[in-house]
Amino acid sequence: MEPKDLNKKKTPIVKIDKELEKHRGKVLFPEKLKRANKILKRVGLPNV
Amino acid sequence: MKYQRYKYSAENELMYYEFYSVGPKGHIKKVIEFSETNVEDVYNLAFGDYDEITGKISDRVVTNNGDSLKVLSTVASSVYAFTSKRPEAWVFATGSTSVRTRLYRMGLTNNLAEISEDFHVYGLKEDQWEDFFIGEDYKAFLVKRK
Repeated sequence: MEPKDLNKKKTPIVKIDKELEKHRGKVLFPEKLKRANKILKRVGLPNV
Repeated sequence: MKYQRYKYSAENELMYYEFYSVGPKGHIKKVIEFSETNVEDVYNLAFGDYDEITGKISDRVVTNNGDSLKVLSTVASSVYAFTSKRPEAWVFATGSTSVRTRLYRMGLTNNLAEISEDFHVYGLKEDQWEDFFIGEDYKAFLVKRK
């Protein structure tokens, strides 16, 4: 597939790299997650 | 997405992604992460630069690599990938600074017509979620597949 065609697809083709498995479950942005939890606790979710 | 995006790699659960920003500052490794929050089915989206020398990740550094639209489009693409695996997921995002939050807003604004076809898009204002409108200022964003 040409890059221009790749860019047109909404759901992308993802290359799976087994080397990246080691990062799964680690929180790399803890401050942001803490902030998200704080906001979600306060305001909850919208009604769909 | 109407903007170009970078190719990226991910681990099997599509919660962690890596790609390289390419521009005047060189090749800069970027990471995207979806983390479980305390609310079921809600995931926090974060992305930032990986410093290959220190091994540290920062979502505060200003890369200035001249490709912010392409980077945002890449991050948006990862939301499509992530939610294709978890269609029930809500994705929460907020910037680490007000400038970053505006950058997120810009990414949503530039692609809203397309994103709205597939997602409910909300902005947080005055401690209430409301439908995302172009031009409004929001503290955080939330999207969910339709």
